[in-house]
Amino acid sequence: MDSITTAASVVAAGLAVGLGAIGPGIGQGSAAQGAVEGIARQPEAEGKIRGTLLLSFAFMESLTIYGLVVALVLLFANPFAG
Amino acid sequence: MASERVDNCSSHDPLLDIDSSDSSSGVKSDEYLELQFRVFRLTFLLTIFSVGIAGFFWGIQASASLFIGALSGIFYFRLLARGVGRLGTSSKIVGKVQLLVPVLLVLVSSRFPQLELIPALLGFVLYKPALIIQFLIMP
Repeated sequence: MDSITTAASVVAAGLAVGLGAIGPGIGQGSAAQGAVEGIARQPEAEGKIRGTLLLSFAFMESLTIYGLVVALVLLFANPFAG
Repeated sequence: MASERVDNCSSHDPLLDIDSSDSSSGVKSDEYLELQFRVFRLTFLLTIFSVGIAGFFWGIQASASLFIGALSGIFYFRLLARGVGRLGTSSKIVGKVQLLVPVLLVLVSSRFPQLELIPALLGFVLYKPALIIQFLIMP
């Protein structure tokens, strides 16, 4: 792998993780805030709120995982390496 | 007289009724645990089905990679569910420890030539169809 490809892969990996984690981070924070407020107001609905929160967290965090996987593939199993 | 007043308070004020609040909290956590077990059971069924299909069409190596990825996905989902279950009671944030699972999966898949990366990643996301099916069946 030549040096330009290596540098571009490292920069792209950093951008993939960094930019890919911004949106899910904000979304998870607001979802957790809403869920905790909901549990505090309606403790009898705690099970349903936690279930819905688990579903939304699983789908939001998968966006982070996609960026993470792209970054790791670029770093450790780069398809552009000659 | 004083004991009668205490009895009235404990029978009418829900904030002082410790026993009932404990039992209802137990019911809620049981409901959450039951949801987790249903998702795990569905993920295991999907894993067995997909491993069979992959072994039939693409060989034993892809099937083994898919199986390891699916096990990693189940472990990741277990860690995520534990973090969500602790939220608001013993922790104020949902931890990020579960993100180490896909990192380790990709690293192991890229280091060992016996494992393939794409089937392992496909196996890892098998918990998502299980979640979708679960919430379509029981919204």
